[in-house]
Amino acid sequence: MENKIWVDVEAKAKEKVFLRCYQRKIEIFEAKEEKGILSLKILEKDYAKIKRLWFVKVKKSRATGLLYWKEKIFTYRVLVVSIFFGFFLLFFISHIMIQVEVIHSNKEIRDLVSSSLKEKGLKKNTWKMSYEELKQIKEEILEEYPDRLEWLEIEIHGMKYVVRVEERKIETQKEEKTACHVVATKDGLVKEMIFQKGQAVVSRNDAVTKGTILISGIITKDGEEKGVVCAEGKVYGEVWYQISASVPMNYEVTERTNKKRWNLRFKNLYYDQLIFRSRLENYEEEKKKVLDIWGNELYFVVQYETKKEQKKYTEEEASNLAFEKAIEKLASTLDENEKILEKKVLKKEINHSTMNIEVFVSTLESIGEVQEFEKNEKE
Amino acid sequence: MHLYKTIQNFLFDQDYFVDLWQKKIHVYGFQDIITLEEQKIVLSFPNFQLFFLGTDFRVLKLSKNEILIEGNLESLQVQDGK
Repeated sequence: MENKIWVDVEAKAKEKVFLRCYQRKIEIFEAKEEKGILSLKILEKDYAKIKRLWFVKVKKSRATGLLYWKEKIFTYRVLVVSIFFGFFLLFFISHIMIQVEVIHSNKEIRDLVSSSLKEKGLKKNTWKMSYEELKQIKEEILEEYPDRLEWLEIEIHGMKYVVRVEERKIETQKEEKTACHVVATKDGLVKEMIFQKGQAVVSRNDAVTKGTILISGIITKDGEEKGVVCAEGKVYGEVWYQISASVPMNYEVTERTNKKRWNLRFKNLYYDQLIFRSRLENYEEEKKKVLDIWGNELYFVVQYETKKEQKKYTEEEASNLAFEKAIEKLASTLDENEKILEKKVLKKEINHSTMNIEVFVSTLESIGEVQEFEKNEKE
Repeated sequence: MHLYKTIQNFLFDQDYFVDLWQKKIHVYGFQDIITLEEQKIVLSFPNFQLFFLGTDFRVLKLSKNEILIEGNLESLQVQDGK
């Protein structure tokens, strides 16, 4: 569509203007006359032709339609740019958070919450998170530290997150026990004893069975009972285990091919959808948030094509994997003072594409447990 | 009006036509403008010339073969030959 303009002309003989326009093939889309001035709506390209008419005095011209707006915007470009910049600045300022303040008197709690918030992406100089995101973070942190945190609230104060925390205080009042032994919880060989109260009944390298008293709460001297206390101490013993583990010989690997596609993802509380149809059948996504307007998020998505491949372990690989799995299973039950002393494979076999393995493991671990007894019970 | 005329022209395939309204004259398919004055407009067609006589004639639209005139028409004459 060609641009049209209005031209105001002054001429003594108006009819002559029309006649000349007709002769010079200037199309007149509309003509008006007011106070001796003739206004003609013509094509922009015909403007030069009108100006060339010697008996016509062109007063002024103004654009119409899209051209009119283009000219207006250009005339007021500084204002338009300023308004847009102002809106952008307002949007930017109202969506950027420059500080995270955790309010609690205990520094340990403050550090704990701060690091947890940082891990979850709530940190300074980032885009403001939506109410739903903050709620999710709040719930995740409370779930992560159920025994440390009682309550947590994330508030938005201008450009600052204010995080209020309430510490959970667990009543750790120790029940005062008056008469107790330290007894063995497992069969094993005593290797180390540390006791604060009571009298040792067993010594190093003694084999004990489950339920054997290790440190007695009854204090005796020369076979005579001198008093009753609540025995306290740690007894470490060598314990033997026979563990079995299985690993399937066949496994599936998902690998990326070199193909990748770009896409956009729109997400809000009720909707999570790719904007363009994905042309890849199997893919993995990597996404980056580009826009967040009141919970309506737009992500730039890179989709990497993947393919699944069936693979098979060699006997040695499967055996090693099963062995590691068995050891890992046991190691997860040990604390920092406990350790594995010896480990070896007892038996391995492949049955129905599964590697079955039996492992012998000896550990050094705590085998003592405080157990109360009635004072008149003696043993 | 333009759309209606375009459809009409397409359907009836007319070389020219003249519409007379209360204070407006619409002419389509003329060949040339011979005279264009406040009291007289003469348009030429392939085999004849059309004389519009009246007062206060004023052009509202004008293109290659179409013209819209406003004014008081008093008489209309057709003259054979160019």
